[in-house]
Amino acid sequence: MDESRKTDISPDEIESVLEVLDPDSNRPRDIIQTDGLNLRFGETSILSGVNMNFPRGTITALIGPTGSGKSTFLRTLNRMNDKVRGFRHEGDVKLEGRSIWGADQDLLDIRRRVGMLFQRPNPFPMSIKDNVVAGVKAHGIAKGKQLDVVAETRLREVGLWDAVKDRLNDSPYRLSGGQQQLLCLARALAVGPEVLLLDEPTSALDPLSTESVETLMRTLTPALTLIVVTHNLGQARRVSDNTMFFYEGRLVEHGPTKSLFDQPREADTARYVNGLMG
Amino acid sequence: MSLVTQSYPKTSWRRFKSSAFRVSTLAALLFVIAPALWLVLGVVVRAVPHWQWSVLTTLSQGTSGGLENALVGTLVIMGGVLVLAGSVGVLAGIHLAELAHVRKNGRPSGTIFRLAIDVLSGFPSIVLGYVGYVALCVGLHWGFSLLPALLILSMMVVPYIAKSTESALRQVPTNYREGAEALGMPVGYALRKVVLKSALPGIVTGLLIALAVAGGETAPLLYTAGATNSLPSFALLHHPVAYLTYYVWTDYNQPTAEAHVVSYDAALILVVMVLTLLVVSRVIVTRTQRHSESYR
Repeated sequence: MDESRKTDISPDEIESVLEVLDPDSNRPRDIIQTDGLNLRFGETSILSGVNMNFPRGTITALIGPTGSGKSTFLRTLNRMNDKVRGFRHEGDVKLEGRSIWGADQDLLDIRRRVGMLFQRPNPFPMSIKDNVVAGVKAHGIAKGKQLDVVAETRLREVGLWDAVKDRLNDSPYRLSGGQQQLLCLARALAVGPEVLLLDEPTSALDPLSTESVETLMRTLTPALTLIVVTHNLGQARRVSDNTMFFYEGRLVEHGPTKSLFDQPREADTARYVNGLMG
Repeated sequence: MSLVTQSYPKTSWRRFKSSAFRVSTLAALLFVIAPALWLVLGVVVRAVPHWQWSVLTTLSQGTSGGLENALVGTLVIMGGVLVLAGSVGVLAGIHLAELAHVRKNGRPSGTIFRLAIDVLSGFPSIVLGYVGYVALCVGLHWGFSLLPALLILSMMVVPYIAKSTESALRQVPTNYREGAEALGMPVGYALRKVVLKSALPGIVTGLLIALAVAGGETAPLLYTAGATNSLPSFALLHHPVAYLTYYVWTDYNQPTAEAHVVSYDAALILVVMVLTLLVVSRVIVTRTQRHSESYR
């Protein structure tokens, strides 16, 4: 017997009711998926055939030697490569099941949802407070007095509040490198992203600042999904749930971090994680 | 051991080169500073002893009288050039730096635009002035008036503004742009709030040169603005406009001491105006750059 006929409710309607009751019930488990993703600049292939799922609320580390394509991969996920001359892609990247290149997608909204932290801290030439709320203002998420609240909340979140609360109108360039990076993190968090892409976020920082960024990364999950490119294998081991190993334009191996490091399946992976290559 | 003894003569040679270089840079500096000081002092020494504040509030009577009409005229011309050439030049610079190079086919773009700018900046000002006279004042029957003067002066200074705007924008760190992009800032918003702000010192420099030229040019104005002893009427056409350099030039060529005083007064006013502009622009730059990377 057909359920819908008996209750006079169509399956679509049941779906929509369920969605209202629990907005998360219908969301894909994986926040980002790549399907047969090939990336190239002009005729040069950078990366080919990447099929990968990024489960919501996890930290994934992208490791591999320089030139293996991991940074290009990362920058593709929020379409930072689109404007680069000669960049072409085949296959697809889906954010919550919808192609990020889809006609119905708003690029600016994708970038709001998929934030990014760069290798070198890049605060804007404006006051510390204005830096934190720069994205919020641009997207019109908050204004006036609300901005102060946003600034304080995010600065507390990254553990910078006590250090900067008395000099919110100061130049961000008077902060240390580590503090500047935390400020950039606060700025990225302020627009309420779902995914954060981190491109070697600690390679320009001293060990103590590195530790505070790593600790923060842990506290940001599972609310956020983090994808981090790192040359620091120790960092990949310490912070990530899953690891992807890129080599010569291919995704060689991926899996739970512990098993990838302890029992790599591929010979190249074993050589890399044991420090025999790269 | 032999290596060590050999290094002594090398050291003294290196020191000699170092001090020779230092001396030549200092000499070059003097070469710039000396004439600037000489000019400013020359004007001040000749103008100040005879200075009367009434010069600023009385109209000219040719080789005597005040300079009110010329002062107001120069200010009107400078303001007009700032608005006209400033907006055209800055927009052109933004186009060259931000929009022209993102062409999809990968070919360099903006080449013709850049060439046109170079050609324009290479023209002698008197040629531009004459062209303005023939084409605008006579050809279009505009007569000696404000609009042809503004158009010709703007043609002269737009290249400076466009070039300095372009190079200032190109020097904005990629970091800023990427950071803005990654936050999902709209392109125009990022340009206004992040990129232009850090390019401001360069843009202000270009505008400053433009204003100084607008205040200090004579030849193209003789052909387009004409000359008059009355205040500018603010009509764009058919009304000549007075300006300070006219009196600097014509009254200096007169045989009377009275006319020479007017000439030096006009020069002094111009010098003070340019110095004021410099100070104001420095204040603007330091105020807006207090959060910049280089300021600290």
